[in-house]
This record gives sequence, C-alpha cells and structure tokens, in this order.
Amino acid sequence: MSAESDMEYSDNDGDDYDYYGEHDDCDMETVDRSKSDPEYFIYSCLKVEEVEKLLNESIELLSNSLQVTPSLAKVMLHAYEWNAQEIINKYKENANEVLVYSRVKPRVASLSQASTSRAVCAVCANTPPIHKYSALACGHYFCNDCWAMHFEVQITQGVSNTIQCMAQDCEVRAPEDFVISHVPKSTLRERYQQFMFKDHVKSHPQLRFCPGPNCQWIFRAWVREGARRVECRGCELITCFSCGAPHHAPTDCSTIRRWLTKCADDSETANYISAHTKDCPKCQICIEKNGGCNHMQCGACRFDFCWVCLGDWKAHGSEYYECSRYKEDPNLANDSQHAQAREALKKYLHYYERWENHARSLKLEEQTLASLKSRINQKVMAGEGTWIDWQYLWDAARLLKRCRYTLQYTYPFAYYMEVGPRKELFEYQQAQLEAEIENLSWKVERAETTHRGDLENQMDIAEKRRTTLLKDFLELNTNVASSSSKV
Amino acid sequence: MANIAAKRIKREFKEVMKSEEVAGGAIKLELLDNSWTELQGEIAGPPDTPYEGGTFLLEIKVPETYPFNPPKIRFMTKIWHPNVSSVTGAICLDILKDQWAAALTLRTVLLSIQALLSAAEPNDPQDAVVAKQYKENPTLFALTARHWTHAYAGGPAAIRDFDAKVQRLLDMGVDEHQARVALSTYDWELERATEQLFNREE
Repeated sequence: MSAESDMEYSDNDGDDYDYYGEHDDCDMETVDRSKSDPEYFIYSCLKVEEVEKLLNESIELLSNSLQVTPSLAKVMLHAYEWNAQEIINKYKENANEVLVYSRVKPRVASLSQASTSRAVCAVCANTPPIHKYSALACGHYFCNDCWAMHFEVQITQGVSNTIQCMAQDCEVRAPEDFVISHVPKSTLRERYQQFMFKDHVKSHPQLRFCPGPNCQWIFRAWVREGARRVECRGCELITCFSCGAPHHAPTDCSTIRRWLTKCADDSETANYISAHTKDCPKCQICIEKNGGCNHMQCGACRFDFCWVCLGDWKAHGSEYYECSRYKEDPNLANDSQHAQAREALKKYLHYYERWENHARSLKLEEQTLASLKSRINQKVMAGEGTWIDWQYLWDAARLLKRCRYTLQYTYPFAYYMEVGPRKELFEYQQAQLEAEIENLSWKVERAETTHRGDLENQMDIAEKRRTTLLKDFLELNTNVASSSSKV
Repeated sequence: MANIAAKRIKREFKEVMKSEEVAGGAIKLELLDNSWTELQGEIAGPPDTPYEGGTFLLEIKVPETYPFNPPKIRFMTKIWHPNVSSVTGAICLDILKDQWAAALTLRTVLLSIQALLSAAEPNDPQDAVVAKQYKENPTLFALTARHWTHAYAGGPAAIRDFDAKVQRLLDMGVDEHQARVALSTYDWELERATEQLFNREE
C-alpha cells in the first residue's frame, strides 16, 4: 500500500472511488481471521447458566465413572483444577491417593479419641443423644448444632469449597451435601452455593469472570498465557484472558503489570509534566486538545503541528515519523549518577507521556464515535441513504479505536525493551503505525468531507501497519520467543 | 451462639486449672470479667531460651462466635521475639488465624504460644526488625531477648552493657522503653540509636 496516501484528500476524485471500493475489507475481516489477525484467539463468552451446565457435565462425568456422589466429585474437581480425565486415570491407579489429595479422606486414620467418641461434643461440651452427631470421612464426630454453627461462621466469612473439619490438624473438607444438610437457613444455603460457583469458576483454568463492574459474563478459553484479547458480550470491556487486566498486546502480562505499577507510583511527577493544554509553537496561544488526532492545527495562526513533539507537522508526513522514538544519550555511561537518574526519569516520561496521550485520545475518540453514530442516524432519518451506506464511517471510527489502543500499549513494551536492532525495528514500525493512525484520525474527524475511498484506503493502511507490528512482536508463548527476528 | 462460647470457656477454664501444666507453673489462666469473654493468660519462659525465668502475660478476648472463630490473643508483657510485635504484642501463629479448629482449646493455644518461644519462625515474622536480627545476628538477638525478659518479664539475667547504654539515653531525657527499642533495633550501637531518636523528634 502506498505510503503517499496522506491527507491530500481533495485530490481524489470519483475515478478512484471504484478502485478503493474493492478494498472494503472491513466487512470481510471476519473471514478467516486466524490468518490475518495476529491477535486472533478462540474464546467464548458465556452466561452463568451456560457455565453451570459446563461444570455439571464434568461433575456428572466424574460422578458416573467413579461411582461417587456429585458432592464428592466437586471436591475432587476443585482440587484437580477440573481435569476430570486426570482424576479418572489416577483413581484407577490409586484411588486412596486421589481421595487424600482432594482432602476427602484424611492422610492417616483418625487417632484423636476425644472427637471420635459420641458422648460429649468436643466443641460445645454438650451431651446430645448419639444420633445427633455426624462426622466427615475422618471420623471426627461433633454434634449437628456445632456443625451448623461452624458452617454458618465459615459461609459468612465467604468460605465455601474449602470448609474443613472442626478437629485439630484435620484437613478433611466438607462436601456440599454434608454442608447443605447441616445448614437450616435457606438464605445461607443460597449464599453458600453462590460462593461455591464463584470459587469453581476461579479454580477452573478455562474460565474467567469478566472483570467489568457487576458484570455476570464468563469467558472460556483453552490457553492461559500471553496477551489474549477477549471482549465481553455484556459490558463490551476488552481484557486479557490470561491476567484479567485491560488487553495489552503487544506487551506481555508481567510487563504490563510492572508498567501499571510504575505509573501508579510515579503518576504525580508525570501528571505535573503532561498537562492538558499546550501552547501553539508558532503563536504561543494556549491550545486545549479536543479531539483524538495528534495532528493539530492552531485555530489562531493555522499552523499545523504535532501535539506530541510540537514540531512542524510537515516534517511528520515523511516516511519516518520521528516523534515516537526516544533517543538514548550515547554519552550516558560517562555521566554522574545524578545525571543517570535524570536520564532515567526523562526516558520514563517520554514513554509515559505518549502512553497517557494516547489514552486521552482514545477517550476523546470515544466521543467522536458517539457523535458519529447520532449523525449517521440523522442522515438515515433524513433519507440520505441507509445505514449500510454510512456504515463505512462507523467502521472507520471503530478501526481507529482499535489501532490507537494497540499503539497505546506499544509504549510500555518499548520502555522495557533492550536497546538494539530489535528495538530499532520496533520503534520504526511503531512510528509508522503512529503516523498512519494520526492520518486516519484526522480523516475520521472530518469524515463527511473526506472521500469515502480515501478514508477506506487509510483504514486499510493503518490496520495493516497494526497487524504487521503485532505479527512481528506479539510473542505468544506457544512459539519460541523471538520467532520474529527473521524480519 | 454466645452461650456456647461461655459454656466452652467455663469448661476450658476448669480443664486448665486441673492440668499438670498449671501444677508445674508453666501456664496460668485468670478470669477478668463475669461474662467469660476476657481472660488473662500467663506463660513461663521455656528453659534453655532467652525467655527462661520470665513470666509473660497474655490478653485473651473470646469472640461471640467462639469456638468457631479463634480467640484474640496478644502479649501484654513486652517481648523481643520474631513472631511477636515488639510494639503491639500481636502474635503471628497459624492456629490463631487460618489453622484454627473449633476443637482446639485455650490450654492447647497457650502451650502452642509457649512452644513458639522455644522455636521461632523467622520466615513468617510479625516483627521484621526482630526477625532480621534473629537471622543475621543470633547471638545479639539472644542477648537482646534476655535483656527484655529481665526488663519486662522479671527475668533473672541482667546484661550490664545494655543497661548502661539504656541509662545513657535516659540521662539524655529519652523515655526508657523508647530507648530500649531504639538500641535493640540498631544492634546496640549507641550512636545510631541516638541519631534515630533525635531525628524523629524534630
């Protein structure tokens, strides 16, 4: 795709339209995404009932093949991270070991005499009739009132799957049917079952609750490492399946955690430095950024400049978009510790400013998206075409959001990268992506005056830059790292 | 629920009173109110430890949900030990937290705390400063613990050098306990302890 397709949209005329029309791959992107999209990840977004069904299938399978109660099957599945097949295989080899590991049975036969007798309850010191005692597989008998009280206290504290026997040093766990039969209050039983469900999802390696506030949806996927993009069907939040943080490709889970912690620690300094307004580099009038695009035009003097580096925008139109690249001072090694500390802060702020800036642009573009939707609706209502005719604007704004999101997460990645040819390549690609995203943003904000073909062309370029970068640098641990050094 | 707690405590109280440990003077239990919710425990410093000869008082608060939740116990007597806070007396002991079992009793708990004095768990510290000294300078730790036992728990062995240093700080107008904490924290280096004490007051 030609790199000259810049903002001179007025040059395009009708002839180009048909040509560009063929490249309308926004509608086609669902076709075989595994090849075109480096972030492609198979997952499903399930409702609570669907997950319950899923869990019940495992429970039934285990309970039928081992001839145990569903309650015991749950205790075992929880201990073996829901790998029913593994339990079945191991059970055939050594049933006792599986039961001990799952804490269904005690490791050694119960010795404590006090608790095995049914004359005095060791907990409450009462002497109820012998039929009012019960015990788990460990044989530690306590009176039913004490069991009820024990479960009530545990459930109130949020414990469910891991409630243990009341005897000293006994780690045997109480299965569901035992708990339920001893808890008289129905509200408490319901809470117990809710906690059980949450605990099951958390202990299941293929499941993760959507981290959105009050969101009830649950993701299911088969791989739990590397940056894995999942989008919630309920709250539309985009997170990483592996770690639950906001999605962060190309940065990996541990790096983004380090970066976010660092940002939280250092934000005071950074906030101070990256203010919301800047002065026009030419006429010094104070400018507030009100759109996502970093290609700024001063309202007073019409000077075109870059919001990030305040340099002339003309210099950015060329192939090399310089301003995303942080240059390390070659004389650094000779400098004093103080200077090195300053250099480290400078380096951090360079990346942090860009990270923050794109985050802010994303928020502003969110507004663009909303207003675009209402403008399209107005057009459709006024009879100027149908939704399908204007769909491309909507697609463009969505694509812009996706591209800028990835761009934002390239900065923590670059910050932690070691200096070398690979980093140079990364920053080159990052600069290319950034340039195309700003072009796209400029055009989306002026969508109605931009030619459709031109806009779609720009969409294609930006998305290709994004996927190229991700293909080369998104290291999903399934392949050997540095698989992309061949580029 | 509260009546189970009271009933249990009454029974446990009798159990402790009859026990051979009370007869031998290793542990004691005293009731502080009539509702059976506040008690005072007493344990003797185990032999062959820096706590030998000392008597340590414990505050015991029985929650309403006892014995389904553990009793709340802390040292009233100041003590230099990796698993006990030298400031609040809070104890880091698994059976007082997640390993509590309803079948445990005050007697077993008191004996466990006494055992903790013989065998500290420096990798699960309550007081990081003490734990660091325990690991890095065990001899100095033992002397410091002995000095605290003498100063607060009626232990027999005074350590003259330490007493002299505490006195030096007392002469400068520093509170006695503060002086002891500062000196213990800074491995009995008078200069560093003084510096820390006077810098903090500024």
